[in-house]
Amino acid sequence: MDFGFSEEQRLIQDSAKKFLVKECPKEKVREIEKSDKGYDRDIWRKMAELGWMGIVFPEEHGGTGGEFMDLVILMEEMGKNILPSPFLSTMVCSLSIMQYGTEEQKKKFLPDIAEGKAIWTPALTEASSSYKASGIETHASAKGDEYVLEGTKVFVPDASVANHMLVVARTGKEAKPEDGITVFIVDAKNPNVEVEVIPTTAHDKPCEIKFDKVKVPKGSILGKANEGWEIVEFMLQRGSVLKSAEVSGASQAALEMTNDYAKKRVQFDRPIGSFQAIQHKLADMLTDIEGLKYLVYDAGWRISAGYPSNLHASIVKVRANEVYERVCIDCVKTHGAMGFTDECDIGLYYRRVKYNQFAFGDSDFHKERIAAELERYSPPKL
Amino acid sequence: MDFKFGEKEEKLRKEIREFVKAELPPGWLMIGLEEGSKDEDWQFTMLMSKKLAERGWLTMAWPEKYGGRGASLWEQLVYKEESRYWSIPGTSMGVSGVNWVGPSLMLFGTEEQKEKYLPPIAAGEPDGVWCTGYSEPNAGSDFANLQTRAVKDGDGYIINGQKVWTSAGHRARWCWLAARTNPNTPKKHQGISIFIVDMKSKGVTINPILNYCGYHGFNEVFFDDVRIPAANLVGEENKGWYQLMTSLSYERGSVGSGAYGCNKRILDELIQYTKEVKHDGRPLFQNPVIRHELAERAAEIEAQRVLIYQTIWKMTRKEIPIYEPSRDKVFNDMVAERLAITGTKILGAYSQVDTQYKDSKWTKLKGCVESLYWLFPGTASAAGTDEIEKNIIGQFGLKLPKSY
Repeated sequence: MDFGFSEEQRLIQDSAKKFLVKECPKEKVREIEKSDKGYDRDIWRKMAELGWMGIVFPEEHGGTGGEFMDLVILMEEMGKNILPSPFLSTMVCSLSIMQYGTEEQKKKFLPDIAEGKAIWTPALTEASSSYKASGIETHASAKGDEYVLEGTKVFVPDASVANHMLVVARTGKEAKPEDGITVFIVDAKNPNVEVEVIPTTAHDKPCEIKFDKVKVPKGSILGKANEGWEIVEFMLQRGSVLKSAEVSGASQAALEMTNDYAKKRVQFDRPIGSFQAIQHKLADMLTDIEGLKYLVYDAGWRISAGYPSNLHASIVKVRANEVYERVCIDCVKTHGAMGFTDECDIGLYYRRVKYNQFAFGDSDFHKERIAAELERYSPPKL
Repeated sequence: MDFKFGEKEEKLRKEIREFVKAELPPGWLMIGLEEGSKDEDWQFTMLMSKKLAERGWLTMAWPEKYGGRGASLWEQLVYKEESRYWSIPGTSMGVSGVNWVGPSLMLFGTEEQKEKYLPPIAAGEPDGVWCTGYSEPNAGSDFANLQTRAVKDGDGYIINGQKVWTSAGHRARWCWLAARTNPNTPKKHQGISIFIVDMKSKGVTINPILNYCGYHGFNEVFFDDVRIPAANLVGEENKGWYQLMTSLSYERGSVGSGAYGCNKRILDELIQYTKEVKHDGRPLFQNPVIRHELAERAAEIEAQRVLIYQTIWKMTRKEIPIYEPSRDKVFNDMVAERLAITGTKILGAYSQVDTQYKDSKWTKLKGCVESLYWLFPGTASAAGTDEIEKNIIGQFGLKLPKSY
């Protein structure tokens, strides 16, 4: 049992910390939020130069052969600085290509991602805004060597800047909603793909995407036709842990900021942090946040070591969803009226609550998954 | 980073489960038996202490020369986790001796004291049962306010005063007593010393305090002109507070793992129960409200597990955990409270059955859920209320100004 980072992991964390503090101060976050693209190309290029995009790719595909845990460490640091970027979307797709792609697909797509030339996003959710298989109505029918894709996706992250998407569509009519699902690699610049940015409070620019008879060659299927739900499960699991790592970092930063404020803000001739009404709230936050932080590491380690991790991924996401919301609300309130203003940075964290909760599954979705795991679970026997 | 146990710990876990299978009745489940309200329960507790001692488990982390086996903190964690999961009675033998008297004596006791007092604890003997005399009517959270006096008199001390909430006082052979030796110090926490008092001494009176369910765990203990030899002073006179703080930090970390084991068992029992019991023609587990609540509890208990492990990990690196044990205690209090509320909701009307009738035909799951429900408010105030623990987290974890 060892909660400590390896020398390599410490280096990754240190360099990420230094880079993000320098490149992504809060003014930068605000500037990116106002931009059309929703990310900073210059920062993106430098991230690629630092080797972040290819950190888990094998060397033959332009990477450095790291492990999943390295991504967890990066996401945690990005969360602290609330870096707006398509990194998570791109990585969830990349991990899926690594796991399910053909040798040809890996060769074709991974090096470009490693070099920062290509942005990817998973197009999962639709009108029901649910990650359940039953929510997938977009369908594709086979015609010769092609499939024709038709349907609408809603709240797809980073789609307006993506080069490629992994589109989840129904290719067969089966009794179980999980059956007959296929994952397609779709060129985002296809003229029949219409992307529209949805205005959101987090300014993260999720999109509605209309696929109007989009032709996709059969060679662009990721994994096997009609057996794509396994890939979606994979994306949800990896995505949940990485999103939770980001949220863990964001929670830590929000508390740090608020704790500093509570030490400086004086009322009744004392810093407000000396009042138990404030101090105990901050103490509760620290407790919850540290619990989340180590749950994230535990889940990240499990995935890196190849253990079954569905239960842990869902546990982490439920805790992340609940802890982050509680922390943000209490942090805003601790800042008093100041916390309510656009000027105060704490709002940057609060504005991301709903965005972070929704990404890769809200609490009800993951509680259901935990319950399904508990249903299969049998307690230790003597 | 590595979140799995080594072979040594897994082997121990297996051995403990074999022990439980061999030594406890099938389906054994008992929450909060340790201090033994009933005499026959206490006899069984002591019988188990003896058996645990024979295995070398009772004080496994102690050095061999004092009756331990020099086990690692991780082995100790597995032992505590498993023993509370399977609710093995007798693991703390009245709490104090195993958990903090022994380790404190090793830090501050004389050779004679160590030789006299440590072996009976390690052997699981009745003479190794201790109670702790800290709290007083006017020294609860403000523990440094204690008024019990110890006055030097020739080759001994005379003790006068009253202690309260003394767990296992009615079972203990010895009392680990904090008393004031100097009343004229600038600060309250100066002038406190630690003594060993024979509970059979003349002038010691023990009165039971029953909890609201009629359970006898606490006592009030009066000391009227109790004479003890000077050799029973532990460490330096007037340095008691500092000794306590040092030994406490060594000891605190090992408390949480047991609490996790206990919560995990109750959760497992509830999951099993809801799969078997039918409501509206389907297993209760299929009820969306119930399954989501159980999922929430499972997530919280997992968070509790990693927090406790992190505290132990810090200790294995020879760092003294400062606020972490407080953090883990506050979290456990929250977990236990929510688990008890979810559990009683699941049991419905059956959660009303008196916990003292564990074998009644109306009792579900051996009364473990109700036991937790009636115990958690007490556990939350024992060894530091949530409010006090949050003060510690604020002051030492967040470096905020002292708030009290």
